[in-house]
Amino acid sequence: MKQWKSVLNSRKSADIALLLEGTFPFVSGGVSSWVNQIITGLPEFSFSLVFLGGNRDFYGDYKYQCPDNVVHLECHYLMESWKDKPPKPYKGNKDVFNQVHKMHEGLRSAKHLINEESLTTIMNSLGKDNALSREEFLYSEESWEQIKEYYTKYCTDPSFVDYFWTIRTMHAPLFILAKIVEKLPAVKILHSVSTGYAGMLGMMLERTRGLPYILSEHGIYTKERKIDLAQADWITDASETFGTSLDDDVSYIRRLWIRFFEGIGRLTYNSTDPIISLYEGNRLRQIDDGADATKTQIIPNGIDIDRFTLLREQRPKGVPPVLALIGRVVPIKDVKTFIRSMRTICNKIPEAKGWIVGPEDEDAEYARECHTLLESLKLQHNVEFLGFQKVDDILKQISLVVLTSISEALPLVILEGYASGVPALATDVGSCRELIEGNNKEDKLIGLSGRVVQIANPEETAIAALELLTDEKKWKQAQAAAIKRVELFYTQKDMFNKYRHIYQQALEKH
Amino acid sequence: MAGIGFELRKLLRRDSYTGLLQAYGFAGIISSGPWILSILGVMLVGIISIGRVYPEELIIQFLVSVTYLMAASLIFTGFLQLMFTRYVADRLFEKKGDIILPNLIGALTLITFVGGLSGLFVLFVFFDQNIKYRLLMLSSFIVLNNIWIVVVFLSGMKAYRLILSVFFIGYSTTVIASIALEIFGLNGLLAGFLIGQTILLFLMLSMVIYEYPGKQLISFDFLNKKQIFISLALTGFFYNFAIWIDKFIFWFNPVTSEQIIGPLRASVIYDIPIFLAYLSIIPGMSVFLVRMETDFAEAYNNFYTSVREGDTLEHIEQLKDEMVKTIRMGIYEIFKVQGLTVVLLYLLGSKILEWIGISPLYIHLFQIDIMAVGVQVLLLAILNVLFYLDFLIMALSLCFLFTVCNAVFTFITLELGPQFYGYGFAIAVVLTSLIGLGFLSKKLDRLEYETFMLQ
Repeated sequence: MKQWKSVLNSRKSADIALLLEGTFPFVSGGVSSWVNQIITGLPEFSFSLVFLGGNRDFYGDYKYQCPDNVVHLECHYLMESWKDKPPKPYKGNKDVFNQVHKMHEGLRSAKHLINEESLTTIMNSLGKDNALSREEFLYSEESWEQIKEYYTKYCTDPSFVDYFWTIRTMHAPLFILAKIVEKLPAVKILHSVSTGYAGMLGMMLERTRGLPYILSEHGIYTKERKIDLAQADWITDASETFGTSLDDDVSYIRRLWIRFFEGIGRLTYNSTDPIISLYEGNRLRQIDDGADATKTQIIPNGIDIDRFTLLREQRPKGVPPVLALIGRVVPIKDVKTFIRSMRTICNKIPEAKGWIVGPEDEDAEYARECHTLLESLKLQHNVEFLGFQKVDDILKQISLVVLTSISEALPLVILEGYASGVPALATDVGSCRELIEGNNKEDKLIGLSGRVVQIANPEETAIAALELLTDEKKWKQAQAAAIKRVELFYTQKDMFNKYRHIYQQALEKH
Repeated sequence: MAGIGFELRKLLRRDSYTGLLQAYGFAGIISSGPWILSILGVMLVGIISIGRVYPEELIIQFLVSVTYLMAASLIFTGFLQLMFTRYVADRLFEKKGDIILPNLIGALTLITFVGGLSGLFVLFVFFDQNIKYRLLMLSSFIVLNNIWIVVVFLSGMKAYRLILSVFFIGYSTTVIASIALEIFGLNGLLAGFLIGQTILLFLMLSMVIYEYPGKQLISFDFLNKKQIFISLALTGFFYNFAIWIDKFIFWFNPVTSEQIIGPLRASVIYDIPIFLAYLSIIPGMSVFLVRMETDFAEAYNNFYTSVREGDTLEHIEQLKDEMVKTIRMGIYEIFKVQGLTVVLLYLLGSKILEWIGISPLYIHLFQIDIMAVGVQVLLLAILNVLFYLDFLIMALSLCFLFTVCNAVFTFITLELGPQFYGYGFAIAVVLTSLIGLGFLSKKLDRLEYETFMLQ
């Protein structure tokens, strides 16, 4: 078995550079396992991995085995951009700062124009002395003048010191990226798995090396960042009137962060082709955020069907009234709605079982609330918290995969359930409706492979569950549709073929 | 440090002439500090002893011995004065008042130990006077060293009436004891000096102990690598060295000096005018302290608070302008008050010398010295603003420049002849102050840039 140590900073050249922000191989979860799947599924290509993290201390050991076709791995930590030499005064290069100004003005304008000339100048200057080095950004008079000017012109928050540090903190990582660009061993294709700083890194590489650049987005980075930032308590709001909406009453500093990520998102979309999303909803959102529609494309997640087909035969006969919510016990999964719906279900089917399968340590407070709710609804005999389990063991025992989430992208657990012969009951978020009702005409003809319900609606959820659990005919129809759908549209083989094709085309361009 | 400014502000707020007079009077005594008062006391002893101590050269020997003690102790403790001041100020800012006393004891122990050993070495290798003289010199040196460290706390205290009484007791004991012991000749005078200074030291020390109680006996935390400001140590050293270097040059030039006692030489023509001149800076120092500790300290505080606590840029800039204004006002006021003093002394100079009984031949040098020490107050003000704004390297460069200029120009004046004596020191002070002003003004222009971008 190949050791990570042997590829770490090996500086070997590869076909594809994968740009990974806060995911594989140090974090487990949806995107990371997808990355792992792609790398191991396409052994004919060699991969060079660039991992970007916030702070070194947040990331522990490798969470995956090193695939044989990974030849190089380098790790960079963006929040460490500060630990450096003591400050020193600089004048700063006036011409370069003028171009920076033009760039910002363009992005700020109603049409969010990208000034090509400025962008080229900036890309050629970033990280270079007497142009736009990290030191000149942090310490130069030109930089100071520009920060002062923008603060006076645009900032509606009173605190200058907050504005000042926000500007510094958000831009400082770009200089680490510039260093990466300079030193990255030779590759033929760039492939980023998000926009954000990783997307920005790809854009810088695309500009300086002229390489084809592919973008695959699972979630939508700017949208996730918006949620993060709306909840971030490290940003102090000038006005304490901050509510839950993301519009007018959001402090300027929060909006500044959001605009920054939107801005670098735009720059990333501008230089990537194709721009891949998992499902139609996200594709539309990308277009909304500035992606050129002609470059967008959908490649859904695919799973290894063969791994699950055996499970279908191991199922008990009939429709045992067992439902499972497979996922972390966190607010975004809205576990409470699942528990509440179980009350109604158990009123009709007293022997019904509801399993909650997933770790509870991420938000201990929320997990405790769920336990309390369960007790107050007297569901101790029906609902169980099973912690982390092997998915295969669970899937062969249950009749319904339930997702009550308030946000999802393309949940793999639904596909895995389908492959094992389990229909799904999910809220109308992300691609869930496409997964259950079908996407295009051909897909829709297959029929319903489960039920779609509103978010935070335990009553509707319970009714939909009961409809399937109590009517074996309907359940069987859903099961058949589920199996057919996953085998037709969501196979790993299909996904590999599509990416293989994209990589090959890019290599030809190269 | 805050204590004094607080009290001064209270006095000024009374809005009466007595309050104003009290504030400036008190500030004058505190700021010109023990070393001006010591000159005054020792000169007084000298003058009173004339005609009572025989032979008269014993009086000269006494004055010169004390002068060397002052010079040596000031330069020796120069390393610690500013650094320790900063250490204390930082701890007070952190509200860690209880580690101040142990560190003061630590500093005094260090100074006593190192000063004692080096004093012992010098006195027993280069001196062949009687053992009593040498022991008296050694003890006085150690006591003076300790005084210069304890004095650091004076401006941090509020009990200014008590400080005044302590000064009064200390210096009157010095004079009275010296006169009382004059029958024992040189050693008697020195013993009197030692008694007075020792009483002063312990009175001040008890005030400090009362003000800053500690939980620990001794600590050397102030020498901790993280806390130590090498630049402040060097600045303190060079500042004191610069002030004395022209005197040393005159003392050790055979043309301008004579041997007084053991290896100690003095230059009567050079020394008397300059020491007299130093007494003239009291008004300027008083204005300096009042302006520094009230208006400027307040404006400074407002500026940095607004930076830290998230004020608008416009307001930050406005507060900086206000701070610059207080600096400008302070310098202008020192100029006015000290300038007036200089003019007055120019007019009265020969009369004063005559009255004290000093040859009018010194008048020319005296006038130059008065001007020079007046400018020195200005230099002190500039240095203080630099310390406040944490431009430590610049303060160090200025003090180093002062030392070099004073040495070089003094040598040149020695070559040029007696009519140029005193100009070396004067040019050095003026040049350093002008450069300092230029530096300061440039730094203040870029203050927001440096505060934000280069912190």
